[in-house]
Amino acid sequence: MKKILIVAIFASVSFFSQAQKVVIKGSDTVLPLSQKEAETYMKKNAGKSITVVGGGSGVGLAALTDNSTDIAMSSRKIKMDEKMKLQDAGRAFKEVIIANDALSVIVNPSNKVSKLTRQQLEGIFTGKIKNWKEVGGDDLIIVVYSRETSSGTYEFFKEHVMNRKNYASSVLNMPATGAIIQSVSQTKGAIGYVGLAYLNKDVKDIAVSYDGKTFVNASLEAAMNKTYPIVRPLYYYYPTSKESIVKPFIDFVLSAEGQKVVDQVGYIPLGK
Amino acid sequence: MKIKITSVIICLLTALAAPLFAQDSPLDTLTSHVAGIRQELDVLKRLKISGYIQAQFQVADSMGQPSFAGGNFASGVDKRFAIRRGRIKFQYDAPINEKGFSTSQYVLQFDVTEGGVNIKDAYAKITDPWSGWFSVTAGMQNRPFGYEIVYSSSLRESPERGRMSQIIFRNERDLGAMVSIQGPKTTNWNWIKIDGGFFNGVGAPSALANGSDFDKKKDFIGHIGITRTDKSEMIKYGLGASYYDGGYRLDNDTIYSLNSDAAGVKGFEIISSSGNKGKFYAKRKYIGFDAQLSIDWMIGITTLRGEYVSGDQPNVSGSSVSPFAVVTSPIYNRKFNGAYFYFLQNIGQSPFQTIIKYDWYDPNTDVEKDEVGKTVNNGMKATSTTDVKYSTLGLGLAYRWDANVKLTAYYDIIKNETSSNLPPLYRTNQLDNVFTLRAQVKF
Repeated sequence: MKKILIVAIFASVSFFSQAQKVVIKGSDTVLPLSQKEAETYMKKNAGKSITVVGGGSGVGLAALTDNSTDIAMSSRKIKMDEKMKLQDAGRAFKEVIIANDALSVIVNPSNKVSKLTRQQLEGIFTGKIKNWKEVGGDDLIIVVYSRETSSGTYEFFKEHVMNRKNYASSVLNMPATGAIIQSVSQTKGAIGYVGLAYLNKDVKDIAVSYDGKTFVNASLEAAMNKTYPIVRPLYYYYPTSKESIVKPFIDFVLSAEGQKVVDQVGYIPLGK
Repeated sequence: MKIKITSVIICLLTALAAPLFAQDSPLDTLTSHVAGIRQELDVLKRLKISGYIQAQFQVADSMGQPSFAGGNFASGVDKRFAIRRGRIKFQYDAPINEKGFSTSQYVLQFDVTEGGVNIKDAYAKITDPWSGWFSVTAGMQNRPFGYEIVYSSSLRESPERGRMSQIIFRNERDLGAMVSIQGPKTTNWNWIKIDGGFFNGVGAPSALANGSDFDKKKDFIGHIGITRTDKSEMIKYGLGASYYDGGYRLDNDTIYSLNSDAAGVKGFEIISSSGNKGKFYAKRKYIGFDAQLSIDWMIGITTLRGEYVSGDQPNVSGSSVSPFAVVTSPIYNRKFNGAYFYFLQNIGQSPFQTIIKYDWYDPNTDVEKDEVGKTVNNGMKATSTTDVKYSTLGLGLAYRWDANVKLTAYYDIIKNETSSNLPPLYRTNQLDNVFTLRAQVKF
C-alpha cells in the first residue's frame, strides 16, 4: 500500500511538472526578451518550466501549426497563408503584442558615414548603391548583410524600409542576429540591421531619416517619442486550446514587472 | 642543466598532451558531436516523407449508379466502404545553394488502395542555379492546367474534383516535360508563375491503361497565374489562364461534326470518311480561366474559387471522356464547356468549415434540352445521352480535428439535362445523388 502511495505521488508530481512546461519558439529578435522574461518568471514561480528556442518568426509560426510549440514569437504580423494553415489544422489562435522594437542600421565602426536616408538604405539593400563614396563615405565596396528569409526582421525591413523592393542577390543572408553583429564588426565596408537590444560597441549605428531632413539614431527614447522611424511591434501567438497553460506567463510579460524586463533588455515597453 | 632538462621534458609533455587535452575537452567533444548530428540531420531534413489515407463510407440514391464521386457503384451496390486514396510521397530536395534555393528535386508518390498500387508522381525537377527563375520538371506529374487539377486532394475541401476536371483530365497526371518560370521567394516577382510543357496526353497509368502514348504528337499544356496578398495580410487573391492544344491519332476513317438537317434539327454529319485511319489527329483544344479569393474577416476566413473552361473535346459516340487508348471507332467532334465554383466559410476560428460547391459540364454546347436525341434526317446521326449536360451542387461540413485528421460529411445533388427524345432514364432527373462520409489522416 505504501509503495502504491509513493508511486501515485511520483506520478502526480511528474504529471504536474509536465503540465507546467511551456515551449516558446520563433523570432530571434524576440528571443533575448523571452529568455529574460522566462528567467524572471521561473525565479518567481518555482516548479514552472519555460523553454525558449529561436529560429525565426516563420519557424515559430510553422511550429504553432504542427503543435510543436505553445507560443510562437514573431517580429512581424502573421501572414494570410499561415492563418489559413492554422485553420486547416483546426487550431484557433490568439495574438498578443508584448513589446515594441526599434531596428538599428549598423556599420563597421571605422566607417565615416553616420547618417542615411530611407531612399539611400533602399538603394544599398537593393544593390543600386554599391560603394560608400556614393553616400558620402570612402571609396569602399558596400558589403550588405541581412537575415534569412524565414526571419520576421528580414520581412519587416523589406516592407518598411525598402518599400517592398527586392534585396540584391549579392546580399549575404545570416542565420542569426549575432552573426550580423560579428560580420559587420569585422568587415570594413559592411552594413546590416539588428534589433535595438543587440546593439553594442563593436558596431556603429546609423542615424536614419525618412523625410531627408531629420536624422535620428535608434534609441529607446527616440523610439518612444516616435522620432525614430523604424519601429515595429513584437508578437506572441498561441493556440486558444493552450490558453490555460500559457496565460500566466503572458500575463506576467504584460504586467508592470514584465514590461520592466522589456525595458531592461532594450526593447520598448508597451504604453510608452 | 637540470633545469634545462626539466624544462625540455615539460615542454615535450605539454606539446604531446596538448592535442589529447584538446580532444578530450568536453566542450570540443560536444561541439564535434553536435556538428556531426547537425550534418546528419541536414541530410535527413532534405528527404521528406509524407502521405495520407482517405477512408470513406458512401450511400448512393440507387443501386449500381454511375458516379463521379469516387467511381461507379458496382451492380447491386448502393452503399460502400472504400479507401479512396492511400498516398505515400518521397521527396528529396538538393541542398540549398548560396543564393538561397534548392536546385533539384526528386519526387516519387504511390497510391495504395484496395484496387492496387499505382504510381501517382515520378518526376525530377531541376532549377537553374544562377537565378532560380527557371526550372524543368520531367516525368509523371500534374498537368499544369487551371487550379483544381493541381490542387492536392488532401487539401481540397470537396471529396472529389468536379465532373469536368475528371472528364477532360482523367487522373490529373500525365507524362511529359514542363518548363516553369517563377522568381524565388526572395524576389519581388514570386507572385507570378508561368508553366508550359509537352505531354503524352493520355493521362497517368491506371487500372484501365498503362499511360503509354499511342501517337507521335505531344500535347501542349500551359498556365499563367498570379497570387497576391494585400499589405494587411487579410486578403489573398489569385488569377490564372490556361491553354491546352493537343490531340490524338485516329484509327478509323470516319469523322463526324455537328450540323443541322433541312428542318434545322441538329445532329452529327460525316465530314470525312476515307484516308483518315492512322493519319488524322482529333484536336483537343481547351482554354480556361480561374480565380481565387480568401478574406479574413469577423466571421472567419471566407474563400471563393472558380474556374471556367471551354473548347473542343472529340471522342466516340458513347463517351466524351478523354481517351487513354487508341480510338478505333468513328470520332465525334463536340464543343464543350464547364465550370466549378467553391464557397468555403470557416466558422470563426472553430475547426468547422462549411463547403458549398457547384459545378457543371456540358459535353456538347450546340444542343440543349429536347434538342438532345432528336431524330435527324439527311443520313445524319442524332445526338445521344453522351451530349447531356450535368450539374452538381455539393454541400458539406468539414471538421479539422488537428493538423493530421480531417472529417468531412458531403452530399452531392446531381442534376442531368432532360430531353423527351432520350431514353426514359433521361426524361427526368436521375436518382444519382451521393452522400460521402470521409476520414482523412495525413502526416
